[in-house]
Amino acid sequence: MRRSTMTPASPKRTDGISRKIGRLLICLGILLGQGFAQEAAPKGAREIVAEAAATTDTDKQKELVESLGNAEPEQVTLWLGKWKEGEIYLYQDAAGTDVAVTLDGEADADEKHALKALATEKPVTAEDGSAVRMTKDELYLADTDSSLRRVMKGVTDRLALASPDVKKRLQAVQDTGLEQDPAKLPLLEQRVAVEQNGRIKDALAEAVAMIKLRSPELPVREGAVKELGDMGSIASQSAIKTVRGEAEAAGQVGLVGACDKALRDIENHISRVNTMGTLFRGLSLGSVLLVVAIGLAITFGLMGVINMAHGELIVVGAYTTYLIQNLFAGGIHMSPFGLKIDIPGMNLSGGSWDLYFLVAIPASFLTAAGVGLLLERGIIRFLYKRPLESLLATWGVSMVIQQLFRLVFGANNVQVESPSFLSGNWTVNDIVFGWNRLFVIGFAVLIIFMTWAVLTKTSLGLLIRAVMQNRSMAACMGVKTEKVNMMTFAFGSGLAGLAGAFLSQIGNVGPNLGQNYIVDSFMTVVVGGVGNIMGTVISALGIGMADQSLQQILGDPVTGKILVLGAIILFLQWKPSGIFATRSRSLD
Amino acid sequence: MKTSLAGKTPTLLLSLLAVFLVVVMPSLNAAGAVSDFTLNTWGKYLCYAILAIAVDMLWGYTGLLCLGQALFFSLGGYMLGMHLMLMIGPDPVYKSALPDFMDFMGRKELPGFWEPFQSFPFAALMIFCAPGVLAGIFGYLAFRSRIKGVYFSILTQALTYGAALMFFRNELYMGGNNGFTDFRTILGADLRNPETKRFLYIASAVTLTLVFLGCRWLTNSRFGLIQRAIRDSENRVLFSGYSAANFKLFIFVISAMIAGIGGALYVPQVGIINPSEMMTEKSLEAVVWVAVGGRGTLFGPILGAIGVNYLKSWATTEFPDYWLIILGATFVLVVLFMPKGIVGIPGQIRELIASRQSRKRAAEEELLATSAAKTK
Repeated sequence: MRRSTMTPASPKRTDGISRKIGRLLICLGILLGQGFAQEAAPKGAREIVAEAAATTDTDKQKELVESLGNAEPEQVTLWLGKWKEGEIYLYQDAAGTDVAVTLDGEADADEKHALKALATEKPVTAEDGSAVRMTKDELYLADTDSSLRRVMKGVTDRLALASPDVKKRLQAVQDTGLEQDPAKLPLLEQRVAVEQNGRIKDALAEAVAMIKLRSPELPVREGAVKELGDMGSIASQSAIKTVRGEAEAAGQVGLVGACDKALRDIENHISRVNTMGTLFRGLSLGSVLLVVAIGLAITFGLMGVINMAHGELIVVGAYTTYLIQNLFAGGIHMSPFGLKIDIPGMNLSGGSWDLYFLVAIPASFLTAAGVGLLLERGIIRFLYKRPLESLLATWGVSMVIQQLFRLVFGANNVQVESPSFLSGNWTVNDIVFGWNRLFVIGFAVLIIFMTWAVLTKTSLGLLIRAVMQNRSMAACMGVKTEKVNMMTFAFGSGLAGLAGAFLSQIGNVGPNLGQNYIVDSFMTVVVGGVGNIMGTVISALGIGMADQSLQQILGDPVTGKILVLGAIILFLQWKPSGIFATRSRSLD
Repeated sequence: MKTSLAGKTPTLLLSLLAVFLVVVMPSLNAAGAVSDFTLNTWGKYLCYAILAIAVDMLWGYTGLLCLGQALFFSLGGYMLGMHLMLMIGPDPVYKSALPDFMDFMGRKELPGFWEPFQSFPFAALMIFCAPGVLAGIFGYLAFRSRIKGVYFSILTQALTYGAALMFFRNELYMGGNNGFTDFRTILGADLRNPETKRFLYIASAVTLTLVFLGCRWLTNSRFGLIQRAIRDSENRVLFSGYSAANFKLFIFVISAMIAGIGGALYVPQVGIINPSEMMTEKSLEAVVWVAVGGRGTLFGPILGAIGVNYLKSWATTEFPDYWLIILGATFVLVVLFMPKGIVGIPGQIRELIASRQSRKRAAEEELLATSAAKTK
């Protein structure tokens, strides 16, 4: 940061007591100086621009602009930009000196503007103290010529390349490369020496090579082409094509060959990136399916209950997340009921508000599990022997719950915002990994692990497996099957709630949210082999991958989806009871 | 599973009902005692009743719960709809004989598969064939690999979902999202004319009667016996040397065709058909009509279709915000407390009385026994 010219001079050294005072003054001076410096530093760029704009001597102008290289980058970009765009005017004051001014506020009826001195940011006043108002035509425009603009560009580029913000620096490096301006080569090479960040180093190498493509020397061009090919630089594709065209016209066979090879390498790189991207999207879609289907794998797969209200249990989780979010922000307000819940001191925002999601996850699980428990006690326990009728009854329940949602939350979607740690992405070797997609995958792994642990490591899991394998035998052994059913159903419903908390982060939350996923999740469970958690995992990932690949190949999500459904029907010809069939000797 | 109103329902009563629906209602309408709107609404209910019988032939008699019956229903509707679309004639805006949505998509001539639908006999044939062929292919695949029970239901659900997605696409040239609407004439008769509407109503009532009689004949025959045997224990049917898959396939195709006819009669009366008609929810509704009316009977589905839809019309106007809750709760209660539906109520009451009497008798006997023991 540039220290201002206004830093106070150090007090003179004196003897004795005055020396102590002197030290004190020095300290004070430093403190004041820092205070000033911080306030004055941004002024630096503005003042220099004001001075440069008012100067008629072009060499002096260039010198002043060059000196901007040490000023606050954002201010430099701002004021140089204004200068270039013609927003800075020259006003001749009473003494006949030019003062750089900007127009202040809107034009009045006579198209006159108030003026503001650029250097001091104070309104320009005439001698009698009244504000000066002028039309644009009465003022001179502080103009720039092409050589001055080049100097300006050099300064802004240099500042951008040295920007402390990694993202901006990377962007600047990439932009410089795309310009292919040989004059920028020394600047970049200078940066190569000092740059620490690995990704930017790669980008610098790419930019340097791209500029070298414009080199007049044939071997340098050839070397650059080869280098870009090895890097698999997608950005340089069109530049290499241009070079190839020129080389062909000039009959430079070696260079044409090098270009062809480089282009092939880049193509391969692109197809690798696309494949990886598809795989990654397929994996994350599969994880979404998995999270949504895992609850069903327990209630439908293990218990054999066709719960058509499973989708609504997902929505219960999503709305719970919504409520927790509101509770953390400004409190819950529900106009139709005049309900208003505020927790004092909960008016959070930013980083601490982000934490709402960590509370929402267990809350969604518990709420949905509670609703599931009521459902099991109220309806489903009477229908264990009549699975097709459980389908009808739960469908009725699903209608009721959906309508209740509409009455409580309105028919439109509500807004659930993702915490900041779920937005953004991570780019590795041109492959973009969105954080929310990565989160999905992690979340799915966690849920699978939890489910597996509950089913195999806890005593509840043992009872669940016993009851599901042979209900009457388990009952004979003293297992309270009623209670186990209740707990299993609540657990499966809770998992649906988790899916809801999670879907709220990647899409809209509305009364119909669950309906969009119910067919998919039933298919996932059937394809996986009913009653087999591992099968559900495999089929979810398989269906997710197939869907994404077909979308990529056909370029049309709907046709892809139809084909996936068709493929599932055909797959069941081959394996009628899913990937992992449960072996049983029993006949009806 | 014999209930009082099943199979053995007094033929006289059923004939009276048929005469009422086929002759009395339209005559009253012609005389002005029944409004055109009411008659039209009843015409719709009767089409639904045909669909309900189709569902019941599968679910109630064969034990196959198909969640795709609305697909066959709307497929039949679409087939007639294609013909009706071509009968609209030149459009005043686009000045072309093509259906509106094709003009809108910038198409200049009719797609090849639309051409034959200029002829009514062809469209009428397709009403049976399209749902039948689809059911045949799907049923062949499903029954060959012995997909049954819940899995069959979920697969048919997926089939319906896939088909609806397909019909939502404009590229299919079936009207996309909006489907077909704005029909003008059928066989040269103006569709807005009350007499045409009355004719369509009579056609629905007659078709329903014929479907009822046909299904009653089928279920009372040897075929019906095997049908019910498959429902009750498919393995025993297999062990007895019957090819259950072929029987199931046959009944599946028949039932798809019946649903198709229902849809074809429904479309000109309602004046619109779009892909939302073939979603799973519609199929589920039809299943619920059957459950409410009483499955495993032929009269039950008719009663259920008319009753539930009547309730729906009433509830949507009286309690627009709560009707879904009323309907949903009705379904839950019916499933829980009336496993045999409305037609099963008399049987349930009789059972209740019988069990109470036997309990009473048992108590009396116990009393006698104890008093006898005391006197000893």
